[in-house]
Amino acid sequence: MAALKGSVLRPFAVLLFVCQIEAQAEDLYAYGEYLSGECLTCHRLDESAGQIPAIFGWPEDKFVEILAMYKHGARENAAMRNVAASLGDEEMAALARYFASQTPKESAQ
Amino acid sequence: MTNRTMTRRDFGSKVITVSAAAAAASLAAPAVLGAAKARVVVIGGGAGGGTVARYVAKGSDDIAVTLINDSPTYSTCFFSNLYLGGFRSFESISHSYDTLAADYGIEVVIDRAAGLDGNGRTVTLANGDTLNYDKAVVAPGIDFKFDAIEGYGPDAVETMPHAWQAGAQAKNLKRQLLDMEDGGTFVICPPPNPFRCPPGPYERISMVAHYFKSYKPHSKIVVLDAKNKFSKQKLFEDGWARHFPDMIEWLPLDITGGVKAVDVASNTIITDDEKFQASVANVVPPQKAGQIAQDAGLADESGWCPIVPETLASLQVPNVHLVGDAIIPGDMPKSGFSANSQAKVCAQAILAELASKQAFKPRFRNTCWSLITTDDSIKVGANYEATEEKIAKIEGFVSQADESDEVRAQTAAEARAWYDAITADIFG
Ligand SMILES: Cc1cc2nc3c(=O)[nH]c(=O)nc-3n(C[C@H](O)[C@H](O)[C@H](O)COP(=O)(O)OP(=O)(O)OC[C@H]3O[C@@H](n4cnc5c(N)ncnc54)[C@H](O)[C@@H]3O)c2cc1C
Ligand code: HEC
Repeated sequence: MAALKGSVLRPFAVLLFVCQIEAQAEDLYAYGEYLSGECLTCHRLDESAGQIPAIFGWPEDKFVEILAMYKHGARENAAMRNVAASLGDEEMAALARYFASQTPKESAQ
Repeated sequence: MTNRTMTRRDFGSKVITVSAAAAAASLAAPAVLGAAKARVVVIGGGAGGGTVARYVAKGSDDIAVTLINDSPTYSTCFFSNLYLGGFRSFESISHSYDTLAADYGIEVVIDRAAGLDGNGRTVTLANGDTLNYDKAVVAPGIDFKFDAIEGYGPDAVETMPHAWQAGAQAKNLKRQLLDMEDGGTFVICPPPNPFRCPPGPYERISMVAHYFKSYKPHSKIVVLDAKNKFSKQKLFEDGWARHFPDMIEWLPLDITGGVKAVDVASNTIITDDEKFQASVANVVPPQKAGQIAQDAGLADESGWCPIVPETLASLQVPNVHLVGDAIIPGDMPKSGFSANSQAKVCAQAILAELASKQAFKPRFRNTCWSLITTDDSIKVGANYEATEEKIAKIEGFVSQADESDEVRAQTAAEARAWYDAITADIFG
């Protein structure tokens, strides 16, 4: 079985970082959609908020600003700071784009 | 906006193509090319399997997803300690698959998967039915090494519950705690590493202590640990000293030599030199990946399943992915949060291969909250990435010992909000 290692079972070994695709709106949205998965372990996509607020429907620039506050320590929550530490400018922009477009009704799905 | 100034290269660096892999998959999976939908069969509808099923189903209309679970309801282990402590009802930690079936078009099969044939790409159910798959996801959680502690076989779990799988076992332990006389001794035996939920035994001790303090204040807790240190130890010990002075005696491996045997008839736990007579015994034995993973050849000699970090593909059987407690998770702990996080990376790899969806650089995260008492909760967490050899930790955080009561209460509220979010993310 070990022989399989490095061949068919390692698809990502043959994956290339794509440089030819256009950094278009759909790509940014698609990237935001992928990244949003990790937010939704803690943030619900509906109105019920509790101690972890809902995060859809923000203006994009404001959303990025808030994420930067966690990243740079202006907001203190340790869990959310750890999340923000892993986000670069592209990630923040993509997340802002994706969550700006979400509404609670759509998200019931 | 940052995205307007982004160059192709910047954005491209986050995107990976799966064209070669997709091509390989199409050869292996003719269904992709023909009229029939590609088939994904998920074994295990828990934190890992439920999430994979939901994310694959919502990611593509061209994939038929079947989710197999051996019970029609799933009770979470997470927050089962709060149920023991009297903070949560059993109903509030139990979930059905109705939404996954109704809103996501997932075919939910309630039965035990009895076997998986990697060559024929089939899963056989206990009822004899056979399901074909293009990709299988195996997420069965844990099973126990019943040969590790003399006398603690499958028959012992009724008298000395592990309560390390929720449902009937958690109810059993709760009933025993309710029936116990004040002044009794609760003996808990946390397992050796690696095991499901590293802070779990210590949160359980806290929750039982909380219950004793309110209702059975003359009772004691003895901890016969298979380890010499444990997760968030300083924080737990500090909390125990503040909330439950003189109630809990923690005996590390070096002192007792570990649990060697049990005598079910007398509810006694036996270490190198001592016998501990328990009023209620909670023995959590050493663990391994769920039995189906062992039977299908997915586990290695460690008892756990090796995977490709970027895709959660099995290193042992082609066209099978694994998520959750059953895998060798690199630096990640075995938790519901981790299982849910791995599931999203796994779903994206499957969507890339079967539905030619774009795949991005895999990212993983874990956060574990533990309740010490009503409004005193601590947390630990980290970000992880896929390297060539494992899922590797990047940066993490942990609660501090000197935090204010207000921060601890906020952390407890945060945990409750997290529970609602993750269960919605798993079960829809
Ligand atoms: C006391 C305790 C407290 C915990 N607290 C937390 C916490 O606060 N936070 C956290 O993140 N994690 C916590 N955990 C850990 C968490 O419960 C597990 O890590 C998580 O459930 C793992 O998910 P999984 O999908 O791998 O397995 P599971 O959630 O166990 O799901 C596996 C499912 O597959 C089914 N199954 C198995 N074999 C078959 C088969 N052959 N056919 C059909 N169905 C099958 C099982 O019945 C089960 O429904 C805790 C665990 C315990 C024990
Ligand atoms: C581990 C749990 C967790 C995860 C994962 C998480 N968050 Fe948070 N988030 C929180 C908590 C807790 C708060 C509230 C923090 C506070 O009180 O400042 C918060 C707050 C926020 C806020 C501020 C909302 C407001 O109304 O002020 C934003 C925006 C946010 N998160 C975005 C995100 C995004 C985007 C992601 C995914 C990349 C994410 N979060 C992932 C726990 C999490």
